[in-house]
Amino acid sequence: MDLKEIPEVDLAIVEGGIRTEADEDLIRQTRAKSKLLVALGMCATHGGVTSLGNLKSVKKLLEKEYSLLKGTKLPELTDLMYPICNFVDVDYYIPGCPPMPLLIVHTLKAIANNKIPERHTSVVCIECRRKIIPKKLDRLYGIYEKEADPDLCLVSQGFVCLGSVTREGCGAPCPRAGFTCFGCRGPADSLLYRERDCYTLLVNVISSRTGIPEMTVKKELYRNPFIFHTFIFSRLERTKERERVI
Amino acid sequence: MSKGTREITISPTTRIEGHGKVTITLDAEGNVDDAYFYATEIRGFDIFLMGMEAARLPFIISRICGVCSTAHVIASVKAIENAYQTQITETAEKLRELLLMGQIINNHALAFFFLTLPDFYYTSEEDPRKRNVFQIMREKPEIGKKAITLRNFGARIFEVIGKREVHIVSVIPGGLITPLKPHERESLLRLSESACTIAHEATALGKELFERNWQDFRKAGTCKTHYMALTQDNAMEFYDGNIRVVDPDGITQTEFTPEEFMKHVQEKTSPWTYAKFAYLRSEKLQKTVFQVGPTARMNTNTKATTEDANKELQEFKKKFGSPAHATLLFDYARMIDLLYACERTRQLLEDETLTRTDTRLKTMPRSGSGIGVVEAPRGTLVHRYAFTETGLLKAMKLIIPTQINNAAINLNVKDAAVQFIHRGEIKPGLLNRIEMVVRAYDPCIKCATRQEGDSLKIEIRDSRGRLIETSGGSIFKA
Repeated sequence: MDLKEIPEVDLAIVEGGIRTEADEDLIRQTRAKSKLLVALGMCATHGGVTSLGNLKSVKKLLEKEYSLLKGTKLPELTDLMYPICNFVDVDYYIPGCPPMPLLIVHTLKAIANNKIPERHTSVVCIECRRKIIPKKLDRLYGIYEKEADPDLCLVSQGFVCLGSVTREGCGAPCPRAGFTCFGCRGPADSLLYRERDCYTLLVNVISSRTGIPEMTVKKELYRNPFIFHTFIFSRLERTKERERVI
Repeated sequence: MSKGTREITISPTTRIEGHGKVTITLDAEGNVDDAYFYATEIRGFDIFLMGMEAARLPFIISRICGVCSTAHVIASVKAIENAYQTQITETAEKLRELLLMGQIINNHALAFFFLTLPDFYYTSEEDPRKRNVFQIMREKPEIGKKAITLRNFGARIFEVIGKREVHIVSVIPGGLITPLKPHERESLLRLSESACTIAHEATALGKELFERNWQDFRKAGTCKTHYMALTQDNAMEFYDGNIRVVDPDGITQTEFTPEEFMKHVQEKTSPWTYAKFAYLRSEKLQKTVFQVGPTARMNTNTKATTEDANKELQEFKKKFGSPAHATLLFDYARMIDLLYACERTRQLLEDETLTRTDTRLKTMPRSGSGIGVVEAPRGTLVHRYAFTETGLLKAMKLIIPTQINNAAINLNVKDAAVQFIHRGEIKPGLLNRIEMVVRAYDPCIKCATRQEGDSLKIEIRDSRGRLIETSGGSIFKA
């Protein structure tokens, strides 16, 4: 619609996270005017790729090329990139980068029929038809360093696939195509407990499926901040909101 | 600006991708002093991707924009391969071109049916509540059905070859992970037949509505600038080829290979927007404004390699001249792009060698820099990277179509504002007319700022930058 102001609505679907003060304002207005609020996509639900910006300071983000921006009329950037749940209550979260069309349809249908949408609580591995056979490898491999066996679990082949920590519901298109899961559905239910440690869990999984000592795996994973920070570690209030993630 | 001036703001600009805002400043007499179209957010991709390994880069960088994710992936892997000095196989090249055509179909179907058609279909004075594609679907369900079929076809290409509908994963440095299976080729080929038919009908509908409104549309402004696009033997090209620049008279000023791109273009930031600008630079052309996108593709090339698109292209040149300058011709030219993309898709799919399995070559990380250029839906898209010897990203520069068109969009907005505002009196329809000009460029602010944020706004400010009015509809009370 070509409207410039947010009308009173039954349901608002919000994409994108909070990066400026203007966004903060807008999300509060939206919450006030809608009965139900659904966060759609990783940026809105967890922070997503944009929250990689949190690895650097705002100053750093702007200094290189935008040093001239001081004193302008543009909205100020917030200190960090936040998912919307940091500012308002969210009724349902549909994570995914991008969120899968079927999940959107199912959620909206359920809402329209006054039902609670079906949730996906487990990990991507249960939707992936690759066979988990523990192997003896001497090292981990980069994403395209070798061609993947079509039937064998990618982790058993030495690739850092995040399927074992990532929420199911997508149908595992990436591992099916021979590409590692990189966690775009965010952490699974079991990882949304405060005491659960994603890193340790994944180190365990990789080590047991490849026979590589845990210390070696740990070193490899810690070396690359992008493996986890892109999706899995983005922010979501861990314990409180778990039961609303679709 | 003199004292007592004021400023008009349109915010958010609706039916564009990303979050933008228009501000018009008025002088003491109430006439237009200046106008800006600007982006209100920034995400900082250029900064936070530093240190990422090359292998991971393409599918994370595609997150710059969900709409043109495939174009970004392809530009990105091309840049990496250029740095690694890898020449991929012919099969992989063809499959990538096919994906890029899917990108054009998917985007242009969206741009035409969902974003611009409501403007063509209803007058500017129509109730804003009605001016959307769902209303058109209610009145003419068959248009809606076609829109969705065509968009689905683009998405289907992504799904089959790219392995995901958005943010494809199959395209990697060195080629494609998975070859195309024979039955997949056949089913896509069948779909491409109906896509071609719909593209024809859409072109006819677009032309009809365009002609009906042309007298009105041409008033929306012209912007005589240089134009840039990829070219292959004078024909329209999206995936490969040289970059050609023509001047406002249509004379080729320069033609260069992708490797030379940065010698010819410079980037600039402005204090009032988070989107960057890009200008031509060379001995002859100092800080020259230029445009990319559908019209630029028509203006820099003399033909198209597919039959019907070529016919339409010649008709376009005959009707509007070459180069054509009227801003709203972007919408017309986009239909020719769409037709070409559908025909080219069919052509590529008819080729049985497309299912050969040699889609992948091994690449080894090495230090150096590389550049990748493609024609994205909105124009020439450039990724340039430098890597350390272990293949980690050391430097990055992206030149994005909306960034290039930014200057022209601003000139155009000012032009439109001048027409609609006299002595402080604002004629009705201003809001939508300005948005139409902006929308003609189908600007993608998310890409230009690598940002994600709010949408389009109009503000009225005085000469000292104080806000007087913000709109939506409220400007009409001014």
